[in-house]
Amino acid sequence: MSVDMNMFQGFLQQIKGLADMAQATDFSDEERVSRAKAVFAAKLDTPKAVDMESCVHCGLCAEACHFYVTTEDARYTPIHKLDLLKRFYRREKGAFGWFYRMTTPDITAQELEQWQELVYDSCTECGRCGIVCPMGIDIASMVNVMRQGLAEAGLIPAELRAVMQEQGGRGTVFGAGPDMLKALVEEIRAEGLDVPLDKEKADILVLSSTLDIQLYKDVLRSTVKVMNQLGVNWTIHTCAFEGANFGMLSGYEQVQKMASERITQEAIKCGAKTVIVPECGHAYPAMRWEGANEHGGPLPFEVLAVSEFLGREIGSGRLQVKALSGDKVVTYHDPCKVGRHGGVLDEPRTVLKALGVDLREMDSHGTMNYCCGGGAGVFLINRASELRQKVFELKSQQVDDTGAGALVTSCGSCRINFMGAAAKANWQKPIHSLMELVGENLA
Amino acid sequence: MHSQTSVQKFSLMHWWLSSLLVLMVTLGSSSVLAEQAGNKVSPIAVPNPGADLWNEVRQRNAESNGRTQIRGTDSAEFMRVSGEEFRDYRLSLLIPYAPYFLVGMLVLLAATFIVKGRIKIPDGRSGQVIKRFETFDRVVHWYVAILFIFLALTGLLLLLGRYAVLPVFGKEAFGLIASACKEGHNLFGPPFLVGIVLMAMRFAAKNIPNMVDVKWLLKAGGAFGGHPQAGYFNAGEKIWFWLVTIIGLGLCVSGLILLFPNFEQGREYLQWALVAHGVGAVVLITLSFGHMYVGSVGMEGSLDSMSTGYVDSNWAKSHHDLWYQEVMQRQSADNPKSS
Amino acid sequence: MSVSEFVEGPLWYFSVAVFVVGVLWRLLVMLSRGYQKNYSEPRASAIAGAIGTNITRFVPHKQFMPRIKLTVYAGYLFHVGLFALLIFAAPHMEFLRDHVVGFEWVVMPHWLFLITAEMAFIGLLILWLHRIMHPVTRMITTKGDHLASILTFIVMLTGCLALARSYESLRILHLFSCELLLIYFPFSMLMHTFTVFFSRGYMGAHFGRRGVNI
Repeated sequence: MSVDMNMFQGFLQQIKGLADMAQATDFSDEERVSRAKAVFAAKLDTPKAVDMESCVHCGLCAEACHFYVTTEDARYTPIHKLDLLKRFYRREKGAFGWFYRMTTPDITAQELEQWQELVYDSCTECGRCGIVCPMGIDIASMVNVMRQGLAEAGLIPAELRAVMQEQGGRGTVFGAGPDMLKALVEEIRAEGLDVPLDKEKADILVLSSTLDIQLYKDVLRSTVKVMNQLGVNWTIHTCAFEGANFGMLSGYEQVQKMASERITQEAIKCGAKTVIVPECGHAYPAMRWEGANEHGGPLPFEVLAVSEFLGREIGSGRLQVKALSGDKVVTYHDPCKVGRHGGVLDEPRTVLKALGVDLREMDSHGTMNYCCGGGAGVFLINRASELRQKVFELKSQQVDDTGAGALVTSCGSCRINFMGAAAKANWQKPIHSLMELVGENLA
Repeated sequence: MHSQTSVQKFSLMHWWLSSLLVLMVTLGSSSVLAEQAGNKVSPIAVPNPGADLWNEVRQRNAESNGRTQIRGTDSAEFMRVSGEEFRDYRLSLLIPYAPYFLVGMLVLLAATFIVKGRIKIPDGRSGQVIKRFETFDRVVHWYVAILFIFLALTGLLLLLGRYAVLPVFGKEAFGLIASACKEGHNLFGPPFLVGIVLMAMRFAAKNIPNMVDVKWLLKAGGAFGGHPQAGYFNAGEKIWFWLVTIIGLGLCVSGLILLFPNFEQGREYLQWALVAHGVGAVVLITLSFGHMYVGSVGMEGSLDSMSTGYVDSNWAKSHHDLWYQEVMQRQSADNPKSS
Repeated sequence: MSVSEFVEGPLWYFSVAVFVVGVLWRLLVMLSRGYQKNYSEPRASAIAGAIGTNITRFVPHKQFMPRIKLTVYAGYLFHVGLFALLIFAAPHMEFLRDHVVGFEWVVMPHWLFLITAEMAFIGLLILWLHRIMHPVTRMITTKGDHLASILTFIVMLTGCLALARSYESLRILHLFSCELLLIYFPFSMLMHTFTVFFSRGYMGAHFGRRGVNI
């Protein structure tokens, strides 16, 4: 397994230039505020209203957040990110609004601009804050509501805006369109592997991502090998292969719906019973937990994360793997959106066990896992690179403390985020993909 | 005839004892009268038929072998002489002199401020800050401080209120105030103990004396001979820490003895506890004024340490130079590139 | 009408009314904002998650404890002390029996009353000091938080001062401060007393549905 380092550097360069590609959105201050408020009002249902009412300002959320813990900067306190939403709710939607209108100031466009850094740069919506909160406030979900409000007000950070606009316009992410997929498929076919591209009918629709198509090509190779080994009726479609959802990441719901509906419609069209989401964190909740809601009804197919799928197939014995050769002492990084938010925690470990590794769990693993620092699109935001580097110091220390020789994960953005930070910190341990390990060790 | 000192209103038992005393006086024990009243009255040569009885009852010279059906510690003791000594100490020593200590210290500090003014940071503030106290340190300190002030105020009212407050508010209101103060004082004692223990555990290791402290004391903290060296805490602070810990614990222990007389401690113990409690309190309150002075208006930059947790680096350099050097060394070890 | 009669009469009824109506109204408004329908296939039971999180959230995960110890210990000292006091202290039981519920129950011995009172004071004082000393809480604390803390402290302090039960005015002062607290309650963060079960519940339901026990 190899990663084309030139391609990797090229990717990092692309990310640096992203901001210039974004189209500006210019609204007046009043427009910004009213557009944001309209979204807040629509999204504040009972569970979120309860959360708005329940905060006692204890400050424990900060102690769980990787951005606060590594910087000791009180500005990154998770509940503080929701301050504008809270004030809006108290003043205009909750009980005794008249009391709060007297005692609490209204939100302003300047504050919306200031909060951009708090809800985008310094929050990966990892959800660790919600675990420690004694009141059980789901801060991460509401940061997404804040993002949705800011998105409608034209305040998405440039890099995310650029990619969201690309996905909303051309339907691609980082330029990975049908041609690029076809090119990689031809490459794989040339190696003697069969790739059922664009089948009219299939049981399983496999998704991929721009990162896998351009950078981590072995992930797709391994996926092909595994699906063929299983002998299932599967396909991958040139018009609906992108698992990443930049509408969801940026908070722009129109594009979120567009992206997930494209997959849903294609899956319905080819009669798929299962859709497999690639190694991409947020892609899993985008389809598994939000896809049906964007569709407006239950999905007529099952959505599985690829690690979930592998765990089931290996656990049931339908897929056989052999033990890894070489250094077997590894640790596993649970991508936040797949693990803590997705519920896929046991299956990756089933896979690792079958691969005969000596798994050493980090102090913070499973639902308690620390985010890689780049989730929710933060790995694209150039302003946040120092912050991400600090988080990497924390994560790499945790890995080193386990004594593991390598880090395994099942998410392309976690992987590229780790690789970028590891290069800067001169941290040498290899970062593997779970899918690749399986694909290269099929029995 | 009444004794010159005002007859105190005690409980029924004390009132009865006092009446007995008056009775003795009127029966003609002239030396006793002279002692109590401070008046010179010519002795009346009338034999006291009960002299032997009263001598025995007072148990001045003999071993007491009283018997009683009343169960309880000390209930076989008919008359407690040391009680009178205690009362004497309280009324003629503690109560009259306490205000001199307290007010005297305030006057001394005011004079110091007028003469010396606020001691500024040499070379002024640098604008750079160093972390001196963690959040927990500051929480514990202010917890102890707030409770100390509350206990001091309620305690002083219980000691001096009859003379300072009652004349202002009248008996009814004062009764209410005193009752409230007693309940407050009693209830907040154990929480204060918790604070003293936490604070002692937290800071004891940093307050162990060493040679640097001896030199600091010889220069009287910089009063003469230039500013002496000091570590994290200087000798003055260390002395204050141990005074607070030891006297504070003493106040707590004596307070607990008084709060819970259910363990058969007799009046002897209770009286000594009151002596320790009263003297310790007056001493500690008096000295605490000095601590509050130095920590606020007396020296520029000192309050920052306990309020924000950070101190100006020039303040650290001049008052705690050895600690400042340690911090600088640690910082450059962590960041080899930055100076 | 004397001050005593006012505090025990009209002001008592007014404060209880504001408290009951205010709390119910605020909860009603909060719970009537509707639900976004969730069409995704649940992995496990949301209700089990709602109940589970309500219970498990009482014990913080040990991973967090080194950083949150002080708040957790002081918080429990305060809350446990306060509830024990409110419900099982003799003067309170008598008051509730005579003015609210009409029946009585077993109370703590006096020494335990004192200990729980001290626990509550220690907890509240440490919590409030931490609130103003720690950079995070100092930033997010509002005036309302201070008002609630200080008002609660005054209620407890006046109760302590009246402990001897010898002076009517001290008892009236305590009752008066309680009435102020009851009136302020629905407008304050003290509402967490009731909202906590809902917020923990929705958190538990959200994650329980996804098969995650949090």
